[in-house]
Amino acid sequence: MSKEIPKGMYISIILREKRKTYSKPFWEGTERRELLIQECVDCGKRIYPPAYLCPSCLSTNLAWMKASGKGKVYSFSTLYQGPPVHYEGKTPYTLALVDLKEGVRMLTHIVECKAEEIKCDMEVEVTFEDFKEMGLTLPKFRPI
Amino acid sequence: MSKTWPKGEIAIVGVGSHKYGNFPDLTMADLVLSAIKEAIGSCGIDKNDIGAVIVEPCLTDPEWNSYIAWSWMVDALGLGGKCKHNFLVHSGGSVGMSSLLAAGGLIATGRTDTVLIAHAEKLSTPPNPGITQEDFAADVRAIFSTAGMYEEWEVPYGYHFNAIAGLVTHRYMHETGTPIEEIASVVTSNRKWAAKNEKALLRREISVEEVMKSRMVASPLTSRMCNIVCDGATALIVTSAKKARDLVETPAYILGIGGVVTNFSLMTAGDVTRFGWKKAFNEAIENAGVKLSDFGTVELYDSYPVFELIQLEEFGFCERGKSGKFVYDGHTWPGGNLPMTTDGGTLGKGHIGVGGSGFVIQGAGQILGKCGGTQVPDVKYSLVTNMGGDYMDAQVIILGGKRS
Repeated sequence: MSKEIPKGMYISIILREKRKTYSKPFWEGTERRELLIQECVDCGKRIYPPAYLCPSCLSTNLAWMKASGKGKVYSFSTLYQGPPVHYEGKTPYTLALVDLKEGVRMLTHIVECKAEEIKCDMEVEVTFEDFKEMGLTLPKFRPI
Repeated sequence: MSKTWPKGEIAIVGVGSHKYGNFPDLTMADLVLSAIKEAIGSCGIDKNDIGAVIVEPCLTDPEWNSYIAWSWMVDALGLGGKCKHNFLVHSGGSVGMSSLLAAGGLIATGRTDTVLIAHAEKLSTPPNPGITQEDFAADVRAIFSTAGMYEEWEVPYGYHFNAIAGLVTHRYMHETGTPIEEIASVVTSNRKWAAKNEKALLRREISVEEVMKSRMVASPLTSRMCNIVCDGATALIVTSAKKARDLVETPAYILGIGGVVTNFSLMTAGDVTRFGWKKAFNEAIENAGVKLSDFGTVELYDSYPVFELIQLEEFGFCERGKSGKFVYDGHTWPGGNLPMTTDGGTLGKGHIGVGGSGFVIQGAGQILGKCGGTQVPDVKYSLVTNMGGDYMDAQVIILGGKRS
């Protein structure tokens, strides 16, 4: 890690450079407070994380659809110690795998809820938070 | 039944490793050469017989990786002109299996009958004098929160390997009803073995209560339930069966292998409480033609306790949801009926990055009789596993002291 780049900025710079052309609509969607996933026009597979090719049939004919934003917590883990540099000072935060009604799974945060109240299979809905240092609006989930 | 590997045709004859620990004054070269010298000495092979060098990368120093990929070891060991191939193999934690596959291919096709596999890592002290300990520690933290993760879909959430294991552990507990004390007992088991291992980083035994009381890191995992990174190095010598018999009394023959890579990310993994272990194991055990009760030790890749429990169940040593109690009751401890991860694993011996070869060395060492304080008597067969990526690359190796 170069010393000229302040800690935390390093990852945000990488992210901005690496953001893929095919995933742009997703991030434009989150800025509008919309959660978008992809659907393969040829085989119907629902896709998250966003992809260039359909992993089922390798079609590039993928359409964006607005997700309901409703789902269930598949699992979760609250990070208390040793966060990555871009999360220094933000602990504790709860990482979770959320299964959306549309049949895809997202890595996300559970917010607006005490860590000890979070359970597997708990019903949640999407909310959006700006992560200014990274220039991203992240979809997160809260209990219904 | 389809054949997955030329059973008994390839053997591990020499094993060596540097002590696992914090060595600010030692370089990668110091570490790896001491491991190689031990491996060569352990089987008495003429170093000039080495026809190929397979090197495994470190995580912290790209220059070292270029160095070894571009044949530094050939000069360091004086193999110039005799060595036919030198190349780097990498698949994260499953690299031990990947290197054996490459070595097996070189030997089975007759390119050479002797292969050296070597690995060095510095994860707790800087590999180069130009880096301060503080900056280096930040780099290492960045590695375990970016490596093998989606930079757009996981990294922005502050993902971390400890949290990956936390996610798997919570779901496993939810589905099987396993209490956290039983999960913690895996650490107690591994640390009991590490206490007997002269080369381990953590040599003090630790009770389940103490594991539970250590500070919370990534729920439900406390700090003692997470592996500890350190410096170290490993080396092994792989030969044809014909050559192996001339070198050592009981070579560790590779009898069967199996592998299943299920996913890159937990987001696409479906069931995170099983992965591909059952299929990988069945492939290996069918080829080897052995029974569960034949294994003198099981050298299961740990990283975090839950992965050893999942493996015990998917391999059939325990019923689903019963492996935690099995470990808690002491069956995997020294003196137990299923010695498990007998070098202490990454939870006790220490974690040296892409350290899959360490588990191969311990399994082979048990058959070769080279395990010192952790030696289990009369081990005829040993089961070795490697796990790569974010734990969705399941690799199984069965070793035995007889060819069939």
